[in-house]
Amino acid sequence: MKGNKRLLIIVYILTIVILLVLLFPFFVMLSTSFKSVQEVYTSPPHWIPHKFAWRNFTYVWKRYPLAKYFINSLIIASFATILNIIVCIPAAYAVSRLRFRGRKSLLFSFLVVQMFSPVIVVISLFQVVVKLGLHNRLSSLILVNTVFTLAFSIWMLNGYFSGISMEIEEAALIDGCSRLRTIVHIILPIAMPGIVTVIIYTFIWSWNEFMFALTFIDSMARRPLTLGLYHFVGRWETQWHYLMTAAFMAVIPVILLFTLIEKQLVKGLSGGAVKE
Amino acid sequence: MACLFLLPAIALLIAFMVYPIFAVFQISLFKTDKLGRIIRFIGVGNFEILFRRKVFWEVLLRSVIWTVLAVSVKTLMGLVIGLLLNVEFKGRKLARSLVILPWASSIPISAMLWQWTFNDEYGLLNYTLKATGIWSNPPHWLGYPLPAFFANLYVDIWIGIPFMALVILAGLQSISPDLYESAQIDGATMWQRFYYITLPLLKRVLLVVTLLSTLWTFNDFNVIYIMTKGGPANTTDILVTFIYKYAFTFLRFGPAAAIAVITFAILSVISVLYAFFYFKAEARG
Repeated sequence: MKGNKRLLIIVYILTIVILLVLLFPFFVMLSTSFKSVQEVYTSPPHWIPHKFAWRNFTYVWKRYPLAKYFINSLIIASFATILNIIVCIPAAYAVSRLRFRGRKSLLFSFLVVQMFSPVIVVISLFQVVVKLGLHNRLSSLILVNTVFTLAFSIWMLNGYFSGISMEIEEAALIDGCSRLRTIVHIILPIAMPGIVTVIIYTFIWSWNEFMFALTFIDSMARRPLTLGLYHFVGRWETQWHYLMTAAFMAVIPVILLFTLIEKQLVKGLSGGAVKE
Repeated sequence: MACLFLLPAIALLIAFMVYPIFAVFQISLFKTDKLGRIIRFIGVGNFEILFRRKVFWEVLLRSVIWTVLAVSVKTLMGLVIGLLLNVEFKGRKLARSLVILPWASSIPISAMLWQWTFNDEYGLLNYTLKATGIWSNPPHWLGYPLPAFFANLYVDIWIGIPFMALVILAGLQSISPDLYESAQIDGATMWQRFYYITLPLLKRVLLVVTLLSTLWTFNDFNVIYIMTKGGPANTTDILVTFIYKYAFTFLRFGPAAAIAVITFAILSVISVLYAFFYFKAEARG
């Protein structure tokens, strides 16, 4: 029993040290977002602001088009999510329920495609976007964010659909329910947790996307949050306290949403390797 | 019917993922103008340009070192944290939800956050290292090649650790406690139990997640581009940031496409391996 107690103390110490290291930058973010400009540029810096500059949180909205950035991100992420769901539900249903030739290899290629690096295709995708007249438009980002989350979404939903017993569906079909009605009234409600996961995943992915925005968007009024914040970092001076304040507000909703799907993501990405 | 259901998804994937890859292959074989338009066929000319430049080989080598170092540390730390969180103690749930934060946070924003934390004069990292006596003379992180490389590497690792830890924790929790109990009765030490029970049973999980982590690490554009833009003087570039710079900073789309083709080849091998072991694990599980 004594050995156990010693082990427990070691576990506590290690866990606390690791957490301190992992959470340190979040502490920096919080601390800086409450600092006045004089305190931001004080050397040596203070861990905790001597005077809390609460007005950063209101002033940053006036000084930068932050509201615009939030709205742009919200538009991009919402439409990408809607489009993704509309396209991925029937596709996932097909690969999980309908028997056709090449089904296995299609599933395999979804898993491979999901890993494609956006940077590899950005050169030619940029030309496609220009050709379609979508350059410097939010719709270009809606489209690419939909596509780059699609394979994983189909993959996740396929897992949920496959988990639903065939018999329930067959019974409904025999009772004279049409295929479409069966899907809407029986399959989708059961697979709701999976659908919610896909919705949150796509939303977060689009909300956080940076490289495509950097490439496709030129005008300030159309920047999503990530790109807008990136341009806070100026060539000569950076208002770090405002950047941290804005970052704080931008990151909170993402973190909250993420905690809702984190378990499903872990399972979906690591495969049958992890059983509950 | 299957066709009809799959059509929109496959059409989108072909138009915006598969076709662009073919187009990149095509561009890599042509001389291009500053807008990336094709001028004339030059065969492997773009590849020859690259292979003659020392900086390409440096970037390629750095990408490999970057990936190997980051993935090993992530796996090791993931294992340590997974084992810690598998012990029953008060506050374990809280610890678990705090460990997730670096993964849950937005990567571009985290990179900006770290850029500020690494600031040599006003940043809190060097101040904290000095004040606590952990490191009395820390380097100027982002201004010099080697420190900048390690700063980027550190942030990439920081982001990647939570996923590793969570998957390994889930793997650990699926191991039946009976196995440990009977080993303990047989007099096995803690280390023996870890080596002969835990590790072999974790092998499949570890294989799948290290491959996945390799893909993510190799592809980590955001951290490097935001923190140092590959600088100073290309010394922190890896292949993905190099592609982007060649195309959108130097406007040399031909060589950029050639690097993209090489990167694609490397990534394809890893992702097919990942998919293969994923399916295998699922079929067996």
